[in-house]
Amino acid sequence: MFIKKTLLAQKFGFVLMLLLVFRFSGQLSAQQQDPNKHKDFFDMSLEQLMDVEVISASRQAQKIGELSVPVSVITAEDIHYSGLTNIPEILQFTPGMDVVQIDRNRFAVGVRGLHDFISDRTLTLVNGRIADSPLFGGSEFYRLPVLLEDIERIEVVRGPGGAAWGANAFTGVINIITKKPQDTLGGFASTRVSEFGDTYTHLRWAQKDGKWTWRTSAGYENYKSSDDAGAGAYRSTVPALNPLMGFNSFSAQDSWQKLRSDSEAIYDYSDTTRMSFGLGYCHGEGGDYEFGGYYPMDRAWNETARPYTRLEHDFGNDRSGYLQWFGNFASTDAPSVATYASAENDIEGQLNFKLGDRHALSTGGNFRFIRLNVEPQSPRQIVFLNEPYDDQLAGLFAIDRWTASDRLTLEGQIRGEWYSETQTDWSTRLTGLYAVDEQKDHTLRLSFAKAFRSPLASLRETQTTRVSLAPLGLPGLWAFNVLPAGDLVNEETWALEAGYTGRLAEGVTLRADTYYQRFEKMIGYLTIPDPLPLPRPRAIFQAANIDGADSWGIELELAKETKRGRFSAWYAYNDLETDEPGQSMRSYAPAKHKVGLRGRLFLNNGWVFNANYRYADTTIATGAQTTLIDADLIHRLDLTVAKVFASGKGEVMVGVSDLFNETEGPNSAIGQWTAHDVPGRTFFCNLALRF
Amino acid sequence: MTRKVRIKGYSLVLCSLALAATLTGQKAFAEPVASREYQIKAAFLYNFIKFADWPKEKVADPNAPVIIGILGKDPFQDAFGPLQEKEAKDGKVVIQRFEGFVELEKAGQKKKDQPHPKSQDIQKCHLLFVCPSENERVSDIIASVKGRDILTVADTQGFLEAGGIINFVTEEKKIRFEINAVAAKQAKIVIRSQLLRLAKRVIRGDGNEGK
Repeated sequence: MFIKKTLLAQKFGFVLMLLLVFRFSGQLSAQQQDPNKHKDFFDMSLEQLMDVEVISASRQAQKIGELSVPVSVITAEDIHYSGLTNIPEILQFTPGMDVVQIDRNRFAVGVRGLHDFISDRTLTLVNGRIADSPLFGGSEFYRLPVLLEDIERIEVVRGPGGAAWGANAFTGVINIITKKPQDTLGGFASTRVSEFGDTYTHLRWAQKDGKWTWRTSAGYENYKSSDDAGAGAYRSTVPALNPLMGFNSFSAQDSWQKLRSDSEAIYDYSDTTRMSFGLGYCHGEGGDYEFGGYYPMDRAWNETARPYTRLEHDFGNDRSGYLQWFGNFASTDAPSVATYASAENDIEGQLNFKLGDRHALSTGGNFRFIRLNVEPQSPRQIVFLNEPYDDQLAGLFAIDRWTASDRLTLEGQIRGEWYSETQTDWSTRLTGLYAVDEQKDHTLRLSFAKAFRSPLASLRETQTTRVSLAPLGLPGLWAFNVLPAGDLVNEETWALEAGYTGRLAEGVTLRADTYYQRFEKMIGYLTIPDPLPLPRPRAIFQAANIDGADSWGIELELAKETKRGRFSAWYAYNDLETDEPGQSMRSYAPAKHKVGLRGRLFLNNGWVFNANYRYADTTIATGAQTTLIDADLIHRLDLTVAKVFASGKGEVMVGVSDLFNETEGPNSAIGQWTAHDVPGRTFFCNLALRF
Repeated sequence: MTRKVRIKGYSLVLCSLALAATLTGQKAFAEPVASREYQIKAAFLYNFIKFADWPKEKVADPNAPVIIGILGKDPFQDAFGPLQEKEAKDGKVVIQRFEGFVELEKAGQKKKDQPHPKSQDIQKCHLLFVCPSENERVSDIIASVKGRDILTVADTQGFLEAGGIINFVTEEKKIRFEINAVAAKQAKIVIRSQLLRLAKRVIRGDGNEGK
């Protein structure tokens, strides 16, 4: 039934696109007079233009050099011309990002390393609202109800950001910011097809009706398994256990189908008060994966709903504030891992005001209630002791940006957080920004930051046993065992950072950021000696605060923007050394050397050429006893060529991703004993229409 | 992967290429580079041309396009893209960009008391937008185009007081504009009442200001 539904949806998507093309081509000369449908400001009257709200994008260009943290921004244009359909693949072309693909659905993503599929050291937000799993941590990009052409920009913050963005922003923050409805008025449709038959279809409509402006998007994504796409070759890290795992029967089941919708409505009550509402939804179904040697090769599914409501008010005299509630509701059935549901409710508020002419202050707080319900559907799924969980957290923060002089700005951020199940802790960031010249074309930055990471339920409360040893005459014993953790305390980090941002010439910018970061009390998995005198000892793990690590590096980026295009080159050196040799950090270390080249050329007659290149060293898996496989070095080149037609209302794009490699991997994730490769080189084409 | 799937995929790619080869197009499809603010201001400049009248000698040639000059570091980027399909005053509208006084003086290509190397081309403009990069040289720029029947526009505090004709201001996140009718009269440009009516502030002469 599900397969039939899939084919039907594919055919529907294709037919819909044809209908849109024919509808559109019959109305090329029609000029809509309804200003609500006008995306083109030149079609508006003076009165209509005077009613359009300005979002000062110059805020972003100025902000980069004036921020207290190093930030890289991926723009909507970068996303569009990449031709890619998932966020992790887009992130990998950003300085300092570590991305390893595990299968067609899952990626290990981290800022400056410490990445894994369920790694909890990088905080992911959507419009400032947390988007990590409350059970495992980690950025669940595969289930985010966000469509790529709805993204205005992605801000990648490097370094501890707990003071500003909330607890657990340990190594960095990824903030996905979506376009406001007023920036997407009218209709949009696009569909992408790859050589393997993967499809990604997106439909959107946005409209302004009096004080209301709203946008609604829907999308369907279907991608084939690695097997069907010419990859899927499996590798085991514990060959001796292959017969017990049934390894020879393993096949890549990573085909997934996802239905997404994302809607937002804004009500401008007055010039000073605005209310916004939103609901994002994602339903995904696909194959599961091996975990701890257990691989039922069953169907998995997940569902995510993210509603929010927000009230903003401008009090005048440089005072403004907001109140917001958002929810993050998720259900997951991953047969090889766990079946669970989570419900997060977060209420937060912030007040911005000025003290005199030189102090811009913000203060606020949030309260979050988290309910976790785990219901194992099989004895081999992970058991969560003492479930259901009702975790609460409350945070308070204050930020002061002091313009000490025309050239010197000092910023202090402090945040305290209380967790019901772990410890109260705090984060801070202190930054000095100094403009070397009057025009503020060259800025130096010096920062100190401290943050913490609270151990989530998946670390505190889990146990599991897998891969029965009964065939070896050892009934009741298991090859893979995770014991309940002992007392876990917060991981801690502090960092010293220095940076430079400069406009060297017209359209030429240089950014250099260097850092030293110290980690303490890092949680990893200790290998517990088998108490039984077995001929082959069992793998017995227990989470514990093991020891610390040092991390240091530099990130350089040179960018040039002309009327014809933009080009950038970057280099990142990110190193990490654990205190103990072979120490487990539940993640990969950063790839030491990473290089990126990006170029976009706007040619005559609406042709656009885009190229993204990335090199990353071999990514080392931390932990001597880990089942993680070192990820091979990466040479990746993506190319797209796009051509607009019909006065810019339509576009055809053809491209190839990962041109140099037929397959990638195999790369594994923590807890996995096997891995398979994934397709590399992929040709695709995309058709997009605006109306 | 099956041969069928790959053949289907390549065919799709080839068809798309063939389709693209037969089509013509213009601007890039992804969201324009110019900030939203300057996209809107670009549209305002187009409207200013529609609601202003130049002396007959300035518009004598019916085949000559209306020229919008951008002087300085251009914040408009590709915001004028839609103008390729538009007309004003029964003619095409073209954009000409000029390096700013500040840039040229920094680069040693012009001294402070020297005219702009492209001053003759600047004087052919119907509307001249003075970019924010030229803030410190606004008075000199206005003086250099005096008597040339040019509608000067900027988004700089004090522009009208320096003798400029139209200045953008932002109020409650929306674009507004103010007009120096005296300077317009001196430039022999007639600002139509529809534009004057919508201005936030109008300097009318004898120190009179009003809405």
